[in-house]
Amino acid sequence: MSLTQQRPSAVSSALAKDRLGVPSVVFFVISAAAPLMVVAGSVPTAYEVTGVIGVPFAFLMLGAIFALFAVGYVTMARHVVNAGAFYAYAAQGLGRTQGVATAWVALLAYNALQLGLYGIIGSATEPLLLDWFGASPPWWVIALVAWAVTGLLGLLRVDINGKILSVLLVSEIAVVLVFDIGDLLHPAASGVSFEGFNPGSLFVPGVGAALATVVAGFAGIESSVVFAEESRDRNRTVPLATYLGIAIIAILYAISAWAQTVPTGPDGIVKAASEQQTELIFNQAAAHMGSGVSTIGSVLFVTSSMACMIAFHNTTARYIFALGRENVLPSMFGRTSARTAAPIAGSVLQTALGLIVIIVYAIFGLDPVTKLFFTFGTFGGLGLLTLLAITSISVIVFFARNPSGETVWRTRVAPGLATLALCVIIGMTLMNFDTALGVAPDSVIRWILPGIFVVAIILGGVWARVLKATRPEVYANIGLGAQAVSGGSK
Amino acid sequence: MADDLFFVIHHNVTGRARLHPRLASLGLAGAVIGELLLAERVTLDLAPGRDRLYVITKNATGDPLTQNVLDHVVAEPHHPIVTWLHFFARTIYADVTARMITKQLLNPPARNLLKQQPATPVDANTAAWPLARLNLAIQRRKPPVIRDCVLYGLVVATGGAARALREHDAAFAAATTALLPVPLQRLIVQTEVVVGEAVISRR
Repeated sequence: MSLTQQRPSAVSSALAKDRLGVPSVVFFVISAAAPLMVVAGSVPTAYEVTGVIGVPFAFLMLGAIFALFAVGYVTMARHVVNAGAFYAYAAQGLGRTQGVATAWVALLAYNALQLGLYGIIGSATEPLLLDWFGASPPWWVIALVAWAVTGLLGLLRVDINGKILSVLLVSEIAVVLVFDIGDLLHPAASGVSFEGFNPGSLFVPGVGAALATVVAGFAGIESSVVFAEESRDRNRTVPLATYLGIAIIAILYAISAWAQTVPTGPDGIVKAASEQQTELIFNQAAAHMGSGVSTIGSVLFVTSSMACMIAFHNTTARYIFALGRENVLPSMFGRTSARTAAPIAGSVLQTALGLIVIIVYAIFGLDPVTKLFFTFGTFGGLGLLTLLAITSISVIVFFARNPSGETVWRTRVAPGLATLALCVIIGMTLMNFDTALGVAPDSVIRWILPGIFVVAIILGGVWARVLKATRPEVYANIGLGAQAVSGGSK
Repeated sequence: MADDLFFVIHHNVTGRARLHPRLASLGLAGAVIGELLLAERVTLDLAPGRDRLYVITKNATGDPLTQNVLDHVVAEPHHPIVTWLHFFARTIYADVTARMITKQLLNPPARNLLKQQPATPVDANTAAWPLARLNLAIQRRKPPVIRDCVLYGLVVATGGAARALREHDAAFAAATTALLPVPLQRLIVQTEVVVGEAVISRR
């Protein structure tokens, strides 16, 4: 017996060849976060809508909070089934009813983040089309093309190939850095100001709105634990990749958000962002380095938005699939497309929702960037914050109930601090939700949107109780994802 | 049985696949392990949540493919069945095709100018027979023999039921699987789990 175990296992080493190392996981994680899309799309929109200059500091602060959150998150990921989904943490930490409620919040949040992207693709593509052909169709035509491509690729289960993704990602980061250097070499007349990194410039009215946007920029980072089963070393690869991903994103975004303010000066950034919107950084680049560099950036902005759209489409479709397999959603959603191995029903549902949103926005003539991209992004960001807070609480409760020899820092202190920080941010976001949406402070819509999450939580809880009463065997498997059919393991 | 599953998930004349290769491989891996279970070379050690393959007898199986699988399990008995499914799925598609070519069930794949053509069945009627048996059983709502119950379970587990079978009745499928001995039931369930995970996986 001991002889066989000392020999390296042929099975393990054969399977290990297909496994992912730290760099691959980091690539997967950051690419879902789509750097250029955030730097060119989210950041100027955040300046424009919120008028807050402290966005760079917000990225650093939230990076720190995400890292704090990740401590408990990756620790619990080693101990739970279906570690890729937030609701699995709630189900296995707090209870199955809370798990279903969390699942509904997650569905809403991911959906919002994905649908919001249809708002940015138009404004990303328009300048290029104008440049090349002298004319451009309205944003919703471009959005519909992107919608069709995303829907088709989703059905065919084309995840953008890892190599293409890496090339795109590296070029995106390179372009962002080149733009940053260009900005830094051409400061405003008043000189280089570090006002953006001053905490005082973040904590002004509108801070909550800025924070919610910035959070959406980090969306995708939580997917690192999905790769736990597929990584070389479950205990090392995933935590390392998660922290690295958070650090890279936080620092890159903070520097880039700050660099945008350098040529205009901190006083001019809000005005410049309002006038030029998503073209801001490309106009800056064109002024500093010529139109060639700027055009490369614009093309990558489009590909970045598309890649992000496909990533979120597939994430959401898989989420729906996992819930279908558990029978929490109708089991129809757990069906697989035999031909392409795609989670077919979830994918179709996503595509249908996308069409409805694009059509509604086109008919009512609403602004795609501020009203679709930014509003949905903020709404999704608020949902994501809620999910992070619930997950942190779940970590504390899970380890209180299942002592496992992990350190107190990982099981209590870090998740506790993360919960506290996240709750404060949620509070600030709610206080400033009118700014985030660009409506009057007494508008009802500012309460309706967060209210949707409350309704989702209540309905999710009620649905879980119904399941418990009518289909206890389904209730028992909540939170197990694809493993629900086997009654789970570990 | 792997041969039968192969015929069910491929067209009986053209040999074109009805299933995504990844799902087909996982299903075929389940079928080969099913052959060993039915031949009583191995059984399942049902630890809660960690079903392991347990070798009953090391007697030769008389077939290189199943013998190879059995040898692997004998050499490293500690892996859970899910690991075996992943491990054998890597190579099983080619292995089963090769075995069926040797048995003269399939023609060797022809190489066209542009792309490799699928291996076509030697006799379209032989190839259609396993699927016909399942369709007949479903039409009559009468569970087939044990072997075909396993086959039916695996076709459903890989998600091929809606595409391959003439009619898909989830309740009847579940009832048929419930007739099987527990180890075979668990094999089907674990195959469904790895198929589900393959769908969720991002690669």
